[in-house]
Formats: sequence, structure tokens, C-alpha cells
Amino acid sequence: MTCDEARELLLDAQRGRLPADQRGALEGHQASCEACAHEAAAEALLSEALEGRLPQHAAPVALKRRLAAAWPDAPAAEPAPRRWASWRRALVPALAVGVLLLAALPLYYQRSSGPGEPMVTEAVNDHLRLLSSQHPLDIESGGMHQVKPWFEGRLDFAPVVRFLGDDEFPLRGGAVGYYLDRKAAVFVFHRRLHAVTLLVFRAEGLPWPRRGLERVGGVTAQVTTSRGFNAIVWREGELGYALVSDVDLPELARLVGRLAAAS
Amino acid sequence: MAGERRADAAALGREALAYADTLYNLARYLTRSPTDAEDLVQETYARALSAVHQFTPGTNLKAWLFRILRNTFLSQYRHERHNPTVGGLDTVVAVAPGPESTQLLRGDLELDRLRKVVGEEIERALASLSEEARTVILLDLEGLSEVEVAQVVGCAVGTVKSRLSRARAALREKLRDYSR
Repeated sequence: MTCDEARELLLDAQRGRLPADQRGALEGHQASCEACAHEAAAEALLSEALEGRLPQHAAPVALKRRLAAAWPDAPAAEPAPRRWASWRRALVPALAVGVLLLAALPLYYQRSSGPGEPMVTEAVNDHLRLLSSQHPLDIESGGMHQVKPWFEGRLDFAPVVRFLGDDEFPLRGGAVGYYLDRKAAVFVFHRRLHAVTLLVFRAEGLPWPRRGLERVGGVTAQVTTSRGFNAIVWREGELGYALVSDVDLPELARLVGRLAAAS
Repeated sequence: MAGERRADAAALGREALAYADTLYNLARYLTRSPTDAEDLVQETYARALSAVHQFTPGTNLKAWLFRILRNTFLSQYRHERHNPTVGGLDTVVAVAPGPESTQLLRGDLELDRLRKVVGEEIERALASLSEEARTVILLDLEGLSEVEVAQVVGCAVGTVKSRLSRARAALREKLRDYSR
């Protein structure tokens, strides 16, 4: 396989569209050709950046209303009288299911879905990336007074975190990370042997949830359990905060209380 | 009969309205203006409604709407100020790193850059590409197959493959520029 042939197949390989023999030939070529291996890595990173970080613009609600108003509605259903008897048999259980769904939906949205879900998913992913990284911290902690100034010039905002860490939640250090489409200040605290990740980022333009919020540690936050991790996400003015860990929720809430009390 | 057609149009409309966000997103990247994007999406739905009888049930509604949106964009906006590059992608030679050691070094820097690039930079780089390049990248991103992209932009499948490859190479070049 030549380099030109290999590069023509890169995108198909990324999207899983190559038959096994071609995929094998491509992988064999990349193993022996550093330039094509670089090309494959760059294309994979470009796809990752486009899929994960390119801002997505949602249609304004007013536009959606105009579109819906312009499209004709379906004609009103006029069931034939003789079909009513068979519908009636199905109607009672259907109504019962409907009532149950209405009762359960708010609980479902509160804990597992809704506008804030991508934010929680991203926060948990960031926490997992830190856990799996061999060098998760750009600056090891000598205390918040050492960590916070380190961010100067590395971010386009000043992360407001005044809790310095204590015996219960010692601060381990910080790093610059990425949260959805923007940079984030990452602070890592510890609780016994568990890592607790705090992400601080610009809040503007993110899909902040408006329903299912709870008062936690003095802030109004989205409290979620995702993939076994507890996540608390909240907003204070222009900044957003996401706290993620596998420590118990009450303990995580205590850390939120300290962060909120100090700020 | 008229009632059935109306019901079909309504059903199609409900499905079509589910793509409003996706269409608006493409419109934003094509027009680079929220107001123009709204107008473009609205005109797209108006045209789709008037041509609803031409839609073949069972085919890809999203791709059909994309085609209408793009054709509307080309007919209404192409001759305005929105095209930053001269010539089409099919005449642009893709910049692909070769095997030389200097290019490999540059490749290492590029990988590092791509890992760290943020959304605003990707958006800016994408916006600076030609309309053709933006379109194929975004349609590919939407998960359309090469055949569907070819139907939307009205070219051969092989052309889509080469356009997409060149568009991505151009985007990488722009992102490299930002790191210098």
C-alpha cells in the first residue's frame, strides 16, 4: 500500500467503513510509515475536536414557533363511532400509564436527563481523564496561594476559588483543562484516598438546567449521579463550577459548602 | 384524498421540525449571521412545504432538507459578501505532510495543537474556509454518508471524498496558523 492509498482510506477507517482486509493493510502500512501514522493521529484528533468542541448553534425558540405555525397541522382525528368500543378497551390502561409517566417524568429529568446532562457527562469525562492521566496536574499544590497565581496568563478568565483546602479536603494541585468548548481551571482536592475534581469555567452560553435544581451547601445546583460518580454543577455569576468524585454525596456537598462559604 | 395529503404533509412537518436545530446550525456556519441563518431556515421550510409532494417516503428527510437549505443559500447568498476563498475546493491542492523529518516535527506540534484547540478557535477556522469546505465538513459531521452528501451538494460521490479530504486539510492548516 502506498502513502497516497493509505491517506485515501483514513476517514473510512475512522468511521469503521473499511473491510477487514483493507483495515489490516492500512494498519500494517501505518506501523511502518511514520508520516502516515502522524496523518492518522492528526485526522483522529481533528474529528475529536470537531465532534466534541465545535460550538453547536440551536435554533431560537421564536424561530421554531414560526416554523411550527407555518406548517399545516394534521386534520383533527374523527374516530368512527364503531371503532370507539375497541378504543375504549385500550383507553383505560393507556390513561393509567399516562398518569404514571406524568408523575415519574419530573423525577427522571431531575436525576438523569435534561438540559444539563451534557454538562454532567463532560464533567465526569474530565474527572476520568484526570484519573487515568499519568501526570494529571500541571502544578502540584503548595496551597491555593501557589496554585491560583499559576493560572494567570493561561486562561481567559480568573477562576474564583477561595477555599484553600483543609485537613478533610486537602488541595493536591491544578491544571488547565477543557470543558465542552472552552478552557477550564481544574483543581484536584482529596478526600481520604479519593480524588475530587473541581472544574471552573466561563458560564455563558452553556445549556444550564432550570428544573430539578437543589440547594446544596449554600448554592443552587444540579445534583446528579452518573456512571457511579456524584456530580454537583452550579453557577455563580459569570463562572460555572462542576465538582465530581466517587465520594459520597453528603461529603461532596460539604466541600461545596466550603467553596461557597469562602467565595 | 386532499385530507390524506394534508395529513402526510403534517406528519412530514412534525418530523422536519425536529431538524430545526441541525438546519439552523448549518445555516449559521454558512451565513455566519444569526439573522441570515433564521431567514435561511425559514425559507428552507417554506420551500420544503411547497415541495413536500416531491419527497420520497423512506429516504433521508434530513439530507433532503439540507439540500433545500444549501440550494436556497446558494441562490440567495452566494453573490453577496460571504465567500472568502477564490475558486472551489476541487481546484485547491490539499496540504498534506510528507515523510520528511521537518514535516514530522511539524506534525508533532500539530498533534499537540489539535489536542489543545478550543471550540472558539475551531469555529473561527471553519468560518474562514470556503462555503464548499464548510458544507462538506459540517454534513460529514452530521453523520451523512458520502452518497447523501453527494446528493445534498449535487456532485459525484468520488468528488465528495476528495472535497472532504481537502477541506479537512485546509482546516488543519488554519488551525496550525493559529498556533504560530
